[in-house]
Amino acid sequence: MKKIFMTSVLIVAMGCAPWVRVGGLYKSDAHQYTVHLPDGWMRWNRGDNVLITRDGVELQQIVLLRWAIDEPLKHTKKKLSQEMLPFEIAEVILDDIATDREVLDFRLVENKPAKIGGESGFRVVFHFKTKDGLRLTSVYYGCIKDNWFYGIRYTAASRYYFDKDLKTFEKMVESFQWVKTG
Amino acid sequence: MNWKHGILILVFLFFAQACATTSLPPISQTIQLEEDEKRLWARAAEEQKALERSGLIYRDQALETYLNQVVAKLQPPEVASPLSFKVKVLKHHLLNAFIFPDGTIYVHTGILARIENEAQLATLLGHEMTHAIHRHLLKQFRNMKNQTAFLATLTVTTGGLGGIIGGITAMAAVTGYSREHETEADREGFKAMVRAGYDPEEAPKLFLHLKKEIEEEKKPEPFFFGTHPRLEERFENYTELLKTEKQKPSGGLKNAEVYLESIKQLLLDNARLDMKAGRFKVAESTVEKYLKIKSDNPEAYCLLGDINRQKGSDADRAKAKEHYQKAIALAPTFPEAHRGLGLVFYKEGANSQAIASFEKYLSLAPQASDRAYIEDYMNRCQGKGEKR
Repeated sequence: MKKIFMTSVLIVAMGCAPWVRVGGLYKSDAHQYTVHLPDGWMRWNRGDNVLITRDGVELQQIVLLRWAIDEPLKHTKKKLSQEMLPFEIAEVILDDIATDREVLDFRLVENKPAKIGGESGFRVVFHFKTKDGLRLTSVYYGCIKDNWFYGIRYTAASRYYFDKDLKTFEKMVESFQWVKTG
Repeated sequence: MNWKHGILILVFLFFAQACATTSLPPISQTIQLEEDEKRLWARAAEEQKALERSGLIYRDQALETYLNQVVAKLQPPEVASPLSFKVKVLKHHLLNAFIFPDGTIYVHTGILARIENEAQLATLLGHEMTHAIHRHLLKQFRNMKNQTAFLATLTVTTGGLGGIIGGITAMAAVTGYSREHETEADREGFKAMVRAGYDPEEAPKLFLHLKKEIEEEKKPEPFFFGTHPRLEERFENYTELLKTEKQKPSGGLKNAEVYLESIKQLLLDNARLDMKAGRFKVAESTVEKYLKIKSDNPEAYCLLGDINRQKGSDADRAKAKEHYQKAIALAPTFPEAHRGLGLVFYKEGANSQAIASFEKYLSLAPQASDRAYIEDYMNRCQGKGEKR
């Protein structure tokens, strides 16, 4: 958080806004999808992954990310593969999160199959605590497509904030579509 | 008083402080805690509270009682007060252990799963207890340049415990102590385990597990006794200590059975942590260690099945199937084994067998959290939808 703040200050000082107001259709040519971002949220204006928030990243955030499935995961040594069932993909992603040393008191609430832009994947819900004792809840959609893992994750403070934007998040996931290439 | 006298007084005070640090006697009933020591203890108490709230504590009352009994055997009677030794277990697959200056020892499930007997455990605990008895943290603290920053820090991000750990935990668990303090802990800890009647031959063996672990992991991680070179030093120290001990009549307690019986469930729980971390080889050998103690546990076979299924190759899946079938043979109503077997059949394209296993699973665990997946896979086996 401190790093993000410092980077923000530096970029503003250089005359380039790190956060931009968003809303409506967003197209990622690099990641080959379109999605409707909620109106009035702020997007971190760096990199190909999307990070948006309304009240601040510590209170609520939505991230859309993608990485090549042969890339090592951050916390577990498990690997993703194209042949994996959604159940198995969820197993790996959940274990990567649960073995993150910054994630405390991890509790899985729900794990079920889901579609992401029509692609078979998973939807998991879990609670965890930060080192400061803040309890957060996440809903994480994920799938593998063309040797890439795609994830859409909503994380918010369990009290008050999580319920407040859950519908907005689900609506956003519903709007997710793949961009046909070639 | 002229300026020369002033300098002389300053020099005297400097050496007096240095002597006070280096000549700190071990904790005993007659010792009063020093002011900065009291502050360290208070800070340690706060860090322990944070650990208690973190969800990292492994709750097993019987195991804690057993560990505390071992500590009691090692505790010199003269330090009974104010130090009160107690052991807590942390759910973490890394091989680590550390002690707070007030005598509270935290041992990771990872290291307990690797230890083979009570004598090796006593070596570990004896070493840690020496750090507290000989006030190593206070001595180290007094040598620090920025004590205020050290006491203020609560966000040291290292040591396998993430952001939860504070400065004291970080120093004790990660940075480790000076070479001199570690050597003293080796020597005094060794004496304590021998005095308590344990087999001294077991002491260096503790370090063989750690060495093996580091070599297998092939990456630097925070370990009990710090890094690989320091581990080598520990091993050499104990080997030397053993040489002198060998001149005396040999023998002593190992207490392997009582130890393994006490950590039985922990073995499976830690194997699960290793599996989650993708450390399949270690996870598998830990379950095999469990099966040597209790060979008829369906949970253990099911876990072996899960480990092999997650490894993902065809050969591993074949092994997984065998383990699941063994679990079912031992306990036909063990739901997770049917699920695992169903998943293996599903991936093999054996649809009717997959359906049968999945149906059995859902009949045994109707409230299963993954029910939606299983129903989805059953539908796909029946040709309803693409098979993924």
